[in-house]
Amino acid sequence: MDQVIDNDLTYSRAVEALKKYAVETDDPLDNEMVLNMGPQHPATHGVLRLLLSLDGETVTNCVPMLGYLHRGYEKMAEDMNYYDYIPHTDRLDYLAPPSNNVAFVLAVEKLLGIEIPRRASYIRMINSELARIASHLVAIGAMVMDAGAMTVFLWCFREREKIQELYDLIMGARFTTSYTRIGGVSGDITDEAQAGILEFLDQFPETLDDLEKLLNANRIFVQRTDGVGVISAEDAIDLGVSGPNLRASGVEHDIRRAEPYLFYNEMDFKIPTYSNGDSLARYWVRMDEMRESIKIIRQAMEMMPFGDIMANSPKKAIPRKVEIYSKMEELINDFMLTNFGAEPPVGEVYHAVENPKGELGFHIVSRGEGHPWKMKIKSPSATNLQALPHLVNGHMISDVVVILGSLDPVMGEADK
Amino acid sequence: MNKKFTKKDLSFWHNLYIPEIVKGLGLTWKAMRGPKQTMEYPEEKFIPTGSYRGRPVLAMEENGEERCVACGLCSRICPALAIEVQAAETEREKERYPVKFEINMLRCIFCGFCEDVCPEEAIVMSDKYELVFDNREDAIFGKDRLLTPVEQLKPRIEFLRKHK
Ligand code: SF4
Ligand code: SF4
Repeated sequence: MDQVIDNDLTYSRAVEALKKYAVETDDPLDNEMVLNMGPQHPATHGVLRLLLSLDGETVTNCVPMLGYLHRGYEKMAEDMNYYDYIPHTDRLDYLAPPSNNVAFVLAVEKLLGIEIPRRASYIRMINSELARIASHLVAIGAMVMDAGAMTVFLWCFREREKIQELYDLIMGARFTTSYTRIGGVSGDITDEAQAGILEFLDQFPETLDDLEKLLNANRIFVQRTDGVGVISAEDAIDLGVSGPNLRASGVEHDIRRAEPYLFYNEMDFKIPTYSNGDSLARYWVRMDEMRESIKIIRQAMEMMPFGDIMANSPKKAIPRKVEIYSKMEELINDFMLTNFGAEPPVGEVYHAVENPKGELGFHIVSRGEGHPWKMKIKSPSATNLQALPHLVNGHMISDVVVILGSLDPVMGEADK
Repeated sequence: MNKKFTKKDLSFWHNLYIPEIVKGLGLTWKAMRGPKQTMEYPEEKFIPTGSYRGRPVLAMEENGEERCVACGLCSRICPALAIEVQAAETEREKERYPVKFEINMLRCIFCGFCEDVCPEEAIVMSDKYELVFDNREDAIFGKDRLLTPVEQLKPRIEFLRKHK
């Protein structure tokens, strides 16, 4: 690692940082050029701005400038109770809302110290894995489109649409699901939805095969990704890369295995790992992970017991609707919770989950009120983007978009 | 699972590209003759099931009265601060009712939290999803546009009782 560049540089400081490495001569053709890529560039996956210094068409240095989608979510959390914050987590990694909901709610539950019913855990797991498939589909579709293949993109979106229809059946919304609740999930999974999931799982492997038939031995795709944007395992760990990008560098680290949450320890699945560390390996890892997710969903559907979907824990979890209508105690609880929120003890908690993009963690500091005193979100997209300058150095401009696509950042999450 | 290729695994035939084109066209041909994937909206409408969270509405009993008792829980929980309720007393059995109940549909994020906390099953997420306005005033729905006969909300209310 020859240079480590801080993300919150102002423009002029960024240009200065780039110029430090630029060779200045009198001949204008020998000078390095600074190019702005983004924030309104179709291939930067949202509002990411890259400052590239170029020698001809070769990138000699790169500074990612984040913050164009900053909405102050960490600060906003200090002002709203835990329950109210759930819809905001949908808008972090907007390609996998259910798993963000789960991540936040698990952190809050750890703080509150409540046990959730088994059925709710399984439902959460099914949703998180569906979200992983949907997110990887977008990642692969977008990456491959950046490399020039339109068909794959459309096929990926066709499959993702099916998952979103399932979201609709399970959670009630296609996109911003806001489905998990502190203490469980908001509604039970219907038979219709279960049938839908199984139907989807039955036909999905075939689509994966089709995608691989198009891509795996595709000369153009392989040549544009093989050996492009290589990062070694040590560098990846040093830079805080996580998720599929880390596993593509040969580090077998998956929070679902390393620190199991929900019931991932009961599940039988492999952690796909490749040692190449290039864009091609990152594509392989995502493809394989989707197959593993299918396995997990199938197992979870089989093992899912009948029973409650909300913890019976007055003062902490909202009671079931039918009980609010008929019982006085539950009614009072409903009023208290809505007005003051679930009040956790004084303390600090960090909980991380394996999101499609990597390790998503919530660090909550509580002073015993209904809202966090401070909250920090450890977002995988932001840390993965730290590796970008290291990856693009020495490659062509057109490789930058492929590398960026293979890193799969989501700006909603990186900028918070 | 298909075999994975790196640059050096690509054989002469792969690099020739013609077999690849033929294979790719084969897949395209298959997809072309497959079923259509899109819905011809608006000729063909999407019909939501009970689980769907459309825009929130107020339930109206058969006698034309609202169920809402103006407790204000929904407006307290609403993460988007979209609801405004003003309570008043009445002679009826319920004693309280909302003189003013407004939901700003430009703010609402369809999260369903209002429905979650309502103790009277008075605010319900309907199956309506077509929302178009040409000015901001139109987007603020008062009681006149929110009140919906319970009959129309049956699928959702049944879903709530069974699955929530
Ligand atoms: S709709 Fe329900 S929660 Fe809202 S004020 Fe009326 S009774 Fe209370
Ligand atoms: S659905 Fe959510 S945002 Fe809309 S009015 Fe209800 S609580 Fe507010």
